[in-house]
Amino acid sequence: MPPRNRQSERRPTRPVTITAVVDPVAALASENLDDNLYLYDTNKTVGSTGFGTPELHSRVRKGDTLLWNVLPLECETYVALIDIEIDPRIAEPTRKVYPGTDIVFWTAEVKQDITEPVPYRLSFLLGTVSTPFTPTARPALAGPADEERGGR
Amino acid sequence: MKHRVSIVVMVDAVGALSDRTLHNGNLSLVDDSSAGSMHQGTPDLVTAVVPGQVIQWTPIHVDVQTPVEIESIEFLSGVTAPPPAGQTVPPHPVDSAPFPAPGAVPGTEGDAMGSGGYENHDLLVWEGIVPYDMTPGVPYRYRLSLKLHEGSNSVLHIDSPALLRV
Amino acid sequence: MAQQHGIIVLFDVENALRTRSLDGNTYWFDNMKFLGSAGVGTEQLVTIVPGTHFSDGSQATEQVLNWLPAVLGAIPPTVPRNYLAEQERADDRRTLRELASLDGEGGVSDADIKRLQRRVGKRARKSGGGRGLTESKLLDVTGRTTSDSGAYNYPAPVITDITGPAVAEKIMYPAQYGSPDMIYDGWYWAATVDTSRPGVYPYTMHVQLHELVERNDELVWESVDLTCGSSLKITNDPKRNGFTGAGLGVLPLPPVPAAG
Repeated sequence: MPPRNRQSERRPTRPVTITAVVDPVAALASENLDDNLYLYDTNKTVGSTGFGTPELHSRVRKGDTLLWNVLPLECETYVALIDIEIDPRIAEPTRKVYPGTDIVFWTAEVKQDITEPVPYRLSFLLGTVSTPFTPTARPALAGPADEERGGR
Repeated sequence: MKHRVSIVVMVDAVGALSDRTLHNGNLSLVDDSSAGSMHQGTPDLVTAVVPGQVIQWTPIHVDVQTPVEIESIEFLSGVTAPPPAGQTVPPHPVDSAPFPAPGAVPGTEGDAMGSGGYENHDLLVWEGIVPYDMTPGVPYRYRLSLKLHEGSNSVLHIDSPALLRV
Repeated sequence: MAQQHGIIVLFDVENALRTRSLDGNTYWFDNMKFLGSAGVGTEQLVTIVPGTHFSDGSQATEQVLNWLPAVLGAIPPTVPRNYLAEQERADDRRTLRELASLDGEGGVSDADIKRLQRRVGKRARKSGGGRGLTESKLLDVTGRTTSDSGAYNYPAPVITDITGPAVAEKIMYPAQYGSPDMIYDGWYWAATVDTSRPGVYPYTMHVQLHELVERNDELVWESVDLTCGSSLKITNDPKRNGFTGAGLGVLPLPPVPAAG
């Protein structure tokens, strides 16, 4: 067994990644993205909750770099995250692409420590539909001090 | 003459679900009849048939991971003409209603319920024998309804294909 | 169903490496929730495999399963795997061009050199006997070369075997296949399924994760072998005729066809 790396130390260099897993065909057929959107982040040990639901609460703190990306369940079907609406006092996400590709991700820096959960809105393009799909349920950024109710 | 004619239904499921129509190049019908079918590769396929032949419809998906199944095939009758409800393909007005299957077993026709308690349209085999009383030289148009995955927008249909007795 | 089932396994690699376990660190998906798959998006996925048979008892549709690993917090699999190599080469070419242009009048500034040093990045070396990854530069999770060994993009886990009751009882026949599909790097695990014996059959997936470790002032990739599991739920029903609900009959043509 190799020696354990310094994994448990805080690594400010690797962003907190929030991944949206989307079943685009199911969402198109049912016109319901909420039931076909599964959100996860890399901060489970820090206390993020709502894994696998569209109401992920990501536990973050001031200075964290956030990164949102998308994993489509049918890899041949187009899915893109086209917008993130969040209180600009907390974060101002910017759209980027992996260099040399047209595959989109978004990054932002958490501008201040959060006391109450800050809900935000994700919008996706699916298939060849030009109107964005936005789930009704809202994910949120939550602060370290904030004790949320219930383990989703 | 062939004993059996296959009609292959090829669907771009993501395209059809995105456009909400089987037109726009999202559906292509092809058969292997040797009797002179017309409009191969289009939604307007006219399959040339002879009585006694078995006609079979088979759905094929363009992208392998997306389920495409046949929901129903209903031949359109020229006798009654109430306006159909629930049209999903507006550009194609229909002046005829689906003809109820005379030999249908009540309550089982089109039943795709599997033993797991979920619908599974893959259980259904869509094939039938061309009857001897079919009028020659007249196209018998049919409504081909497809189910792409599940949900309010999952069933789409076209009324353009036909069988033609030569 | 005649289409292929894609089973996507999302790994929380960072937590798995820290705890040396995949317990609580995998999320499983298939796109068959509407046919009865349970636990989609969780660690307890039960994948439905709805089988059908003809009236003579023969299997009507052959099921195919594919397993596709992905990493939470890494470059997603929609970015082609050879992307890492391409990206390194593109950076090297850019660096060489800029080195050449530095030779011009005006001398060379410290800032220029530092910028180029950053781009040259760090290289990781595979430890002796390890499998899977070639010596390569480090990319971070945004696809840029990095000189920070704490920021590297986790490579996708490699499936090394699929075992368990579903395999031992000959319900499925998994094997690794080569494919020209660049999304999954030309290698994937797939299985055909015997749907004649309904029931729930668990299976175990053996995966190899890769961790970058500093040893004797060198960065080396170490492999970490772990397992996780899921189940198949086989159902089976007879095929029936769509027109009659039973056997083959005459097509239900109307007395007078619609005009048009």
